[in-house]
Amino acid sequence: MKMRLKLKSVFVLYFMVSLLGLIYALMQLGQRCDCTGHDIPKERVISRLRGELHRLQEQMRKSGEIQQPQKDPKSSLPTIFVITPTYARLVQKAELTRLSQTFLHVPQLHWIVVEDSNHKTPLVRDLLAKSGLTYTHLHVATAKERKLQEGDPNWLKPRGVEQRNEALHWLRQETHKQQGVVYFADDDNTYSLQLFEEMRNTQRVSVWPVGLVGGMKYEKPVVEGGKVVRFHTGWRPSRPFPMDMAGFAVSLKLVLANPDSWFDGMAPMGFLESSFLQGLVTMDQLEPKADDCSLVLVWHTRTEKPKMKREEALQAQGLGSDPHMEV
Amino acid sequence: MKMLRKGYVAVVLVIPLGWIFVHQVWPSSHIWVPVLIQGDQTRGHGHSAILPPIYVITPTYQRPMQKAELTRLTNTFLHVANLHWIVVEDSQTKTPLVSRLLQESGLNHTHLNVMSPRNIDRRSIRGLSQRNLGLQWLRSTFNVRNPNPGVVYFADDDNTYSLELFDEMRWTQKVSVWPVAFAGSLRYESIKVNAKGKVYGWEVAYAPERPFGIDMAGFAVNLQLLLSKPNANFKLHPGLQEGSLLLDLVTLDDLEPKADNCTKVLVWHTRSQAPDLSGEARFKHSANLET
Repeated sequence: MKMRLKLKSVFVLYFMVSLLGLIYALMQLGQRCDCTGHDIPKERVISRLRGELHRLQEQMRKSGEIQQPQKDPKSSLPTIFVITPTYARLVQKAELTRLSQTFLHVPQLHWIVVEDSNHKTPLVRDLLAKSGLTYTHLHVATAKERKLQEGDPNWLKPRGVEQRNEALHWLRQETHKQQGVVYFADDDNTYSLQLFEEMRNTQRVSVWPVGLVGGMKYEKPVVEGGKVVRFHTGWRPSRPFPMDMAGFAVSLKLVLANPDSWFDGMAPMGFLESSFLQGLVTMDQLEPKADDCSLVLVWHTRTEKPKMKREEALQAQGLGSDPHMEV
Repeated sequence: MKMLRKGYVAVVLVIPLGWIFVHQVWPSSHIWVPVLIQGDQTRGHGHSAILPPIYVITPTYQRPMQKAELTRLTNTFLHVANLHWIVVEDSQTKTPLVSRLLQESGLNHTHLNVMSPRNIDRRSIRGLSQRNLGLQWLRSTFNVRNPNPGVVYFADDDNTYSLELFDEMRWTQKVSVWPVAFAGSLRYESIKVNAKGKVYGWEVAYAPERPFGIDMAGFAVNLQLLLSKPNANFKLHPGLQEGSLLLDLVTLDDLEPKADNCTKVLVWHTRSQAPDLSGEARFKHSANLET
C-alpha cells in the first residue's frame, strides 16, 4: 500500500510539473525567439530562410503584376504620383535602383516612369517588375532635333519634356476623382523621405527649397507671413517661377482641371517650369512647405559619367566586356 | 497492481513525447519570424534573431554632397535586416550634420571619427584611417573567443547598392567576392570563376598583376575571421588598398564567388559630380540652411 501511494504521488508530481512546463511553452508562442541559445542546424535555417525569401519574392512579383499592392481602398492617404523621365546610359540602372529604394519607404506612391525611347526596354521593364512598387511604365522618344547630342552642354536643350507631358496625358486619361499630388522627380536627384509627407496634402501647388542647384548651395522661395513673396535664386529671379523641377508639386485635381497645361519644350532656357505652372497658379497661391521653406529636403545631385577609357581600349581590340551582362 | 504499473509506464512515456513534439514542431512557424525585406511603412528596420548581422563601414568627409549621399544611403540601408552602420568621419570632431542624420535615420549605428594624416596625398589614402578605425572598433567590441556571426562590408558613401547584394554577402564564411560596375574604367570589373565554382583570377584592366584585383565595393569579410587576425588592416598602397587587407586574411582559393558565380552586377561604383557652386561667390544667403 505504501509503495503504491509513493509511486502514485511521484506520478502526480511528474504530471503537474509537465503540465506547468507545457503551459509555459504555450505562453512563449508569439514571443521573439532568442535562438542564439539554441543549437539550430545551419542547413535547416538556410532552407527555412530560402522558403521565406521565395514566399516574399512571390508576393512582390504578384503585387508588381497587379500594380496596386499598396492601394488599400480604405486608405485615405492621397496618392503621390511621381513622374520620372529616364533615358538609357551607363548609370541608368544604378540611378533607378537607388530611386526605387527611396520610394519603397513612401506609402501610397505611384511611380510613373517614362523612357525616352520608342519602345519599352527590358532593363527598365524588369527593374520595375522587381521593385515592389506600384508603377506605370510609359515611353515616348524625343524628336531628334530636340535631343541633346554628345558633347552638347546640358543647358542647351531642355530634357524630359515629351516624357513629362506623356505622363500628364496618362494621368488625364486614367485617373479621375482621385485624391493625389503630382511630383516631377528626375532620376539623378536625391530625395529625403520627409519631402513626400510635406507634399502629400497639396491643395494647388506647394513649394520648398532645393539644395545644390542653380550654382548655389540652395535655391528657395522666400516666405513672409506664411506666403511666398519672392524667390531666392542666383539666376534670373524675374522669371514667373524661378524654381527647379524638384522644388514643387501640383495637386492632381489642378492637373485634371487644366487639361491644356503642358511643359513647353520651346520655352527659353530656365523657363520650362514656368511654362507649366503659369497656367495653374499665381505666386500668391503657392503653399510653402518644409517649415516655411527653411529646410532642404531634396538635392539636385548629378552623377558623373563613368570613365570608360580602358573599356574603350579593350573594345578596340575586340576584347570588350560581355554585352549580355546588364549593368 | 501490474495493470496500474503498465498504465504508469505508458503515461510516463507519453508526456516526454509530447514535449518532444512541442519542441520540434511549433518553433518552426510561429515563434521565429525572419524579416528579409522591409515590408512595413514605418521608419524602423527589420530585426531577425537568425540572420547574421552586416556591419557596414562607411568613411565620409565634409563636402557639399555629403548630406545628400548619406541620406540616400540611409534610404537603402533601412531595407536591410540586421544592418549595423559604422560611419567614420574624416574629421577631428563628430560633426552635427552627421550626428543628427544618424540619430534621425532609424538605423543601428556607431559614429566614429579620425582625421586622415595631412602630409600624404589625399587621393591615395582616402578612407584608409577611417576604415581601420572601423576595424578597430569591431575588435574592441567583440570578443574573439565568443561566436560572432556576421559579415563586414566597406561601403563608400557615393556608390549604389542593390538590396540583393546584402542577401548575397550575409552568409560569407571567409571572404566573398562579386563584380563591381564602373570600377577600373571598365563597364564592370569581375572575377574569373572556374567550372567548380572556384576563383582563379580577375577580369580587370587596371593593374591586373594585383594579388587581389578587386574594388572596395566588391568583397565582404566574415567578422570572426577579422577578429581572429587582429593585425589585418588596410595599408597605404595607392590603388591597392583592398589587396593590402585581403593578403592578411585569405588566399585566392578561399574566396567565395557570389552573384550567380560572378555573372550579375549588384553594386555600381557611381561618383557624384561636384555641384556647381560658382554662384555662391557673388551671392549672400540671408538664411543659413543645412544642405
